[in-house]
Amino acid sequence: MIRLTNAPTDKQLKIVSLGGGHGMRRKLLSLGFHKDDIIELDSRSILRGPILVRGLTSETSVALGRGIAQKIMVEIVGDKK
Amino acid sequence: MATKNKYPDIIFLGQPNSGKSALFNAIAGLKVDTSNFPGTTVKHAHSKVNFAGNVFNIIDLPGTYSLNPSDDIEKVALSHLFFEEPDLIINVVDASILGRSLELTQELIELGYPMVIALNMTDLAEKKGIKIDVKKLEKLLGVPCVPTVAIHGRGIKQLIETAIHALEERRPLSPLTWTRDVENKIEEFQRAIPDDFPVVGNRRFTAVKMLEVGKRFFIQTLEKMNPELKKARDKTRDDLEKMHGVPAYEVIAAERHHLAAKIFEESSEVVRGKRIPLLERVDDIIMHPFLGYLILLAVFLAFFFTIFQVGNPLEGLLLRPVHHLRIFLSDQLGTGVVFHILDGLLQGVGGGLAIVLPYLVPLLFLMSLLEDIGYLARASFLMDTFMHFIGLHGKSVSPFILGFGCNVPAIISTRILESRRDKILTTLLIPFVPCTARTTIILALVAFYMGPIWALGFYVFNIFLLGVLGRIISFFYKEPSPGLILEIPTLKVPSLMNIWKKTYFHMKAFVKFAWPVLIAGSVVLAVMQFFHMDRLINLILSPLVEKALGLPQELGVTLVFGFLRKELSLIMMLQALGVDYHNLMSVITQEQLIVFTVFVSFFIPCLSTVAIIWKELGKKIAFLSMALNIAVAVILSIIIRAFLSIS
Repeated sequence: MIRLTNAPTDKQLKIVSLGGGHGMRRKLLSLGFHKDDIIELDSRSILRGPILVRGLTSETSVALGRGIAQKIMVEIVGDKK
Repeated sequence: MATKNKYPDIIFLGQPNSGKSALFNAIAGLKVDTSNFPGTTVKHAHSKVNFAGNVFNIIDLPGTYSLNPSDDIEKVALSHLFFEEPDLIINVVDASILGRSLELTQELIELGYPMVIALNMTDLAEKKGIKIDVKKLEKLLGVPCVPTVAIHGRGIKQLIETAIHALEERRPLSPLTWTRDVENKIEEFQRAIPDDFPVVGNRRFTAVKMLEVGKRFFIQTLEKMNPELKKARDKTRDDLEKMHGVPAYEVIAAERHHLAAKIFEESSEVVRGKRIPLLERVDDIIMHPFLGYLILLAVFLAFFFTIFQVGNPLEGLLLRPVHHLRIFLSDQLGTGVVFHILDGLLQGVGGGLAIVLPYLVPLLFLMSLLEDIGYLARASFLMDTFMHFIGLHGKSVSPFILGFGCNVPAIISTRILESRRDKILTTLLIPFVPCTARTTIILALVAFYMGPIWALGFYVFNIFLLGVLGRIISFFYKEPSPGLILEIPTLKVPSLMNIWKKTYFHMKAFVKFAWPVLIAGSVVLAVMQFFHMDRLINLILSPLVEKALGLPQELGVTLVFGFLRKELSLIMMLQALGVDYHNLMSVITQEQLIVFTVFVSFFIPCLSTVAIIWKELGKKIAFLSMALNIAVAVILSIIIRAFLSIS
């Protein structure tokens, strides 16, 4: 289990827990990001800036600030297709 | 709404970026009349349409991801939905992300009002390799579905026909069932709700919402109203939490999420991996860690360059007849009070028409274009790091960008920010963003008399000032910002009609609200000048204007009027000094011109900006904003004056 900020960009990841406050969790849920969903990190992330996450279940791309991404725990499930 | 009881109300509801407004506009094209309420609490477009003898009120609500609001814009959408029970909902769904969109759809089905689903952007879905079996989807959801492509007007006729049919039928919907153990808990709690409880939609919907909601205010009210029910609610919530190991609202959200995925799978065929290569590649460049910034800068420059290339010749073209009319008036009427009043009227009408509109219209147009393509979200992503420097995050970028157009909609758009702290910080900074009015002043004074390099320098300085101020203000609001969570929508080919409609609505707001103020202000000044009443104001302000800023005393009164509209300071400056545009430099020096521009740009947010801050964040913040602006303007002008006199 690793933090989303430390996850590799060439793998598929599974969300283990969303973490963070209720407000942030609710926002992520409403955008279609849930526990056990498969996501991918985009390589176009900006140094020390936000990261781009693509949810494969919900077909949605979101930009997440570092502080938020740090609280999301993921595990590697396989290579990007 | 006077027509409320006469014609059925149809509400358009959907997630952000679902093409809801484009669909609304396509239908509102059949309008009888259209009204728009910018800046009021219920910010929605409202239109009466006539389709083959059937008249409806159609209402476009702001996009919302779910029926659990997380920001103020969503709250507006929901309070309307809950309190003004519509006759029909048209749920606009982005067919290219059907899985996620169905989560909101399910909530609407739970609410139970008659509904029709518009499967919008089916062309995009097909390009992505998604093929939806509409009949099967209808069966699974129990709701009629109509495929549409709003920007091409496809499916609109069928959508309206289906809506008419649904209105006649008025069939309430029944919710889709979740996992057994969750359903049992909800049923159990539902029974605890007393018969006289103010139910929204139906008992089940109310029960689910009570379990999902996290607002302390609601829970305290419930405790006072019915402590037994509150206890039952807490027990159910705790049970759900224990059973699944996550908060109750997450359990419920997960139920919808899984069901949505299942319905999507059963009703659609997907050729996986078929993404849109061209748009992906464009996105690679736009959001590139290096190229992205170059493009952002280029977009920014092109934005202003275009506005001035369009605005400047138009201004010249339109000013000429105004000028001729003025000469004609003075020839005919002499210099009596009638001439002064008519001249004031002409300055106000002409100023709005010839100096403001030529810049405002292209600006509004380009702003809508950037928004519709999906570029604003990308700019927010790129700017996030820089925004952290001033204690904010990327989501504040789009209010700031809108601020270059007009501070008023910019402040309204801070509703997209989740935390009050971010909202206050952004709102206090927006009045330092040079809006069109201030840009007009900078161009008309600094660029015209001293050259474009000086104007550009002024801009760079302005952005630097924003950074410094943000840093200082965020020092007082230490509470950390929650951070960026922002959907990056697919890049879209914009619909010209949609952009034009948006531009038109905003332009109408200027013509209706701001222009009359400009005209009235000019007339009042003209009358005051005729009776020499302006001298009193000038005298009162002379310690500031003359002593501190080193400006001609006559400019005092223009500053007072600048509070009404920033452009007034410019238009009245010439009026007050009694010179025409080309001879300005014969009465004031370059230093005075710079000090005046600096002071006018920053000294106070205009009246409409103050009013909107007051409405959005309260009296305290409105006064704080005024005090901050006055302080910054005075200090800055004195420093600049001192600096210019040394060098």
